Amino acid sequence: MRYWQDLQPGETFTTSTLTVTQEDILEFAAEFDPQPYHLDSGAALDSIFGGLCASGWQVTALMMRLISDSLQANEVTILEPSGVSQLRWKMPVFAGDTLSARLKIKACRPSDQPAMGTMDCEVIVDNQAGKAVLESIITLVVPLRQDGLQQDGAQQDGVQEMGLSHG
Amino acid sequence: MDKVYIRSRWFEDIPVGEFHVFGSHTFSELEIVEFGRKYAPQVFHTDPVAALDTPYRGLVASGWHLTAIWMKLMVSYMERFASGVRDGRRNGAGMGIENMVWHRPVRPGHTITFTYDIVEKPDRIVRDKWGIIRSRNEAFNQYNQLVMSFVIDILAERRPVADSQNSA
Repeated sequence: MRYWQDLQPGETFTTSTLTVTQEDILEFAAEFDPQPYHLDSGAALDSIFGGLCASGWQVTALMMRLISDSLQANEVTILEPSGVSQLRWKMPVFAGDTLSARLKIKACRPSDQPAMGTMDCEVIVDNQAGKAVLESIITLVVPLRQDGLQQDGAQQDGVQEMGLSHG
Repeated sequence: MDKVYIRSRWFEDIPVGEFHVFGSHTFSELEIVEFGRKYAPQVFHTDPVAALDTPYRGLVASGWHLTAIWMKLMVSYMERFASGVRDGRRNGAGMGIENMVWHRPVRPGHTITFTYDIVEKPDRIVRDKWGIIRSRNEAFNQYNQLVMSFVIDILAERRPVADSQNSA
């Protein structure tokens, strides 16, 4: 297991790849983003995107999947991201595109969540042509390594506090 | 006089300061788990029992599930106003977001209400015919606690020059 203390600015992770099928796009769009350019190939041709493409929110979800799997494979546990300071959708993701992500740690900071630290990460999602489809700065929350009694106590308090405030 | 539907308005017709409460959604355990299995496979999104041993002390919705539901409710809201309008889509494509913060977890059974407030129309023309509508979006749980906020830039089509001359 690698904890917040084990991670440094400058470290990079390159994720595995995943291919977005037309079926994936239609399924997400039907549930969350039923607009013609995500549902209907013909209508999509006349849209700003020029073809059937994935919802931007499907791309953000797939980004999270890619980086979650990659960090887990590298023995880094993350909690929910606490925020995204900026994110740009640079290009549409079309059916058949294969995506991968690059994550670079920009800064490591303490967290106001007990027993946690944060990492500001630059995350870029590329398509199979090496073109960036999404660029973002995401703040990930990573557990601190707990050594010694005092920090164990802090972790207990943290668990209670989170349970109460969100329960 | 033709009605001006919310979705068929030109960029110029959308006023800064316009505020909408555009929908609510109750998150079920099943949909949190289904979303988690596809996109966010950590146990606090996928396994209600194993989630008890995480810092969240139970299942929570992925932050990207909240944004997906935001989109669903936004489309539904816009479609209601645009019903019966052909070519009623002069806005929709998102450019990017800023200052997204997930303030507190969303758990099964929580009902989240979404609002947006148009805060700025930056003086920029994108690809000859689009303007940018910047809105601040907030989501609140059933205790009126803020759970998510962000700013998003969405493209809206500018009124063609010929059109504005005709109506002048």
